[in-house]
Amino acid sequence: MNFYITYFIVAAGLFAFVGLFTMFGVYAERKVSAFIQHRLGPTETGKYGTLQVLADMLKMVQKELIIPAGADKILFLAAPIIIFIGVYLGFAALPWAPGLIPANINIGLYYIFAIVSIETLGILMAGWGSNNKYSILGAMRSAAQIISYEIPAGFALISVVMIAQTLNLQDIAMQQGILSPDKAKFFGFLDVSQIGGFLSWNVFQAPHLLVAFVIYFIASLAESNRAPFDIPEAESELVAGFHTEFTGLQFALVFLAEYSMMFLVSMVGVILFLGAWNTPLPNMGSVTLATWTTGTVWGIIWILIKTLLLVGVQMWIRWTLPRLRVDQLMNLCWKILTPLAFLCMLISGIWRLWVM
Amino acid sequence: MNLVQIMFYLMAFITLGSALVVAMGKNLVRSIFMFFVTLFGLAGLYVLALADFVAVTQIVIYVGGILVLILFAFMLSGKESLAIAQQHTTPYISLKNLPAFLLAALFLVVMLNVVFNADVNNLPWVKAAIATKNVVPVNGTINNIGVSLMTRYLLPFEVISILLMIALVGAAHLSRKEGAKA
Repeated sequence: MNFYITYFIVAAGLFAFVGLFTMFGVYAERKVSAFIQHRLGPTETGKYGTLQVLADMLKMVQKELIIPAGADKILFLAAPIIIFIGVYLGFAALPWAPGLIPANINIGLYYIFAIVSIETLGILMAGWGSNNKYSILGAMRSAAQIISYEIPAGFALISVVMIAQTLNLQDIAMQQGILSPDKAKFFGFLDVSQIGGFLSWNVFQAPHLLVAFVIYFIASLAESNRAPFDIPEAESELVAGFHTEFTGLQFALVFLAEYSMMFLVSMVGVILFLGAWNTPLPNMGSVTLATWTTGTVWGIIWILIKTLLLVGVQMWIRWTLPRLRVDQLMNLCWKILTPLAFLCMLISGIWRLWVM
Repeated sequence: MNLVQIMFYLMAFITLGSALVVAMGKNLVRSIFMFFVTLFGLAGLYVLALADFVAVTQIVIYVGGILVLILFAFMLSGKESLAIAQQHTTPYISLKNLPAFLLAALFLVVMLNVVFNADVNNLPWVKAAIATKNVVPVNGTINNIGVSLMTRYLLPFEVISILLMIALVGAAHLSRKEGAKA
């Protein structure tokens, strides 16, 4: 039975991590946005406003749970939970370090791709359950957007899978460093299996994956409803979109889901394209930096650094670019990203056949 | 009972119970969301049958695709037509329900017949496969699915893609505005 207790501990640990990350993320977002807009951000609560998030959490916990009179009670109450669970389940299959993965399933990537789509359903649930025209408009926009952007994201992922020849995330991670069982080739010609470092990351093993990575990153912004793709909650048009009616803990859950989604998509991007838990430092002659900086603890450190950097880029983009209009959004998805993603997939096939 | 059996009965109960709620519910939207639970329970049953790929595919296609599309169609249709559909109150036993009842009963007979006559524990083709060592280890499922789709089942696979293509062309044709010559 120890087996099952471990599972529960791991699940609780992941939940704690998601919560901690959200606290950190909210504070970072406010400070980053303040920096970009030449403001100060939170300064009053605690030194440099560090206690601001804690104060906000206390406030949210105390708030009254308000259910609108016309709302469908069951759907309204269940929606935030489903939204969050959809994202949280995705964390089960993410590798953190060599040998450290909550659930090592051999279709890990496919599983994450599937489980994240539950979020759409939760959002539609929230929109319908609130019985409010802004909520339902936001929910419809969100669903349309997520479904559309799943296509370029999916093809970008497929082009990686064609290179890696596996859906197991731990195996994909393993292939991008000095622990690789196969040969890792920098740009397809230079054997870097012993050198490792950033040279053996997927984006450098096959250069067209750099394009695939950009496509995936843009699509992942849309899938987590982040600006410039935040028309589902466009505050100038829709108040707050699908979560207009939520207060207190329910609102907190929606927020938790948004930030966990940011982390999840960034981490998937890091695992597939940017070398997962592998070190960016290559072995150089007798200075074997890659061998020194590979291990369980190092793995966790590297993957956290890389993922947080990507999350930082997401924030940077959010506070820099204006929101896209609906038609621009669909044009970008169907006329630019989807053909490009198809092209990447094609090149992946050719690369696999003739270069690797 | 070991844990797998408990899980099986739990999943089966969830699937059947939620399917009943879907069929009996008066509130259409709640029925659709309940259908999500049914599909999820089914995915769980697939996992218990060691068909994890099928389970995940079930979630991708049904939950992420079809269910969301059903909801879309629902939310885009007018309130009046929905209200008519929801007001439809017929008693459980009536002449209108007879065809449906007959179909369901006949299907139940067929299913029961299959269950009692199949003798699942010694199927001849499973025995033959074990005897000739033609058995695939569970871990290799996705490779085998891929190879089979591209070799043995290539024709059905392509036919399905043509079917989807036709549906797409049809949808594009229907949604084109009258008079606009493209």
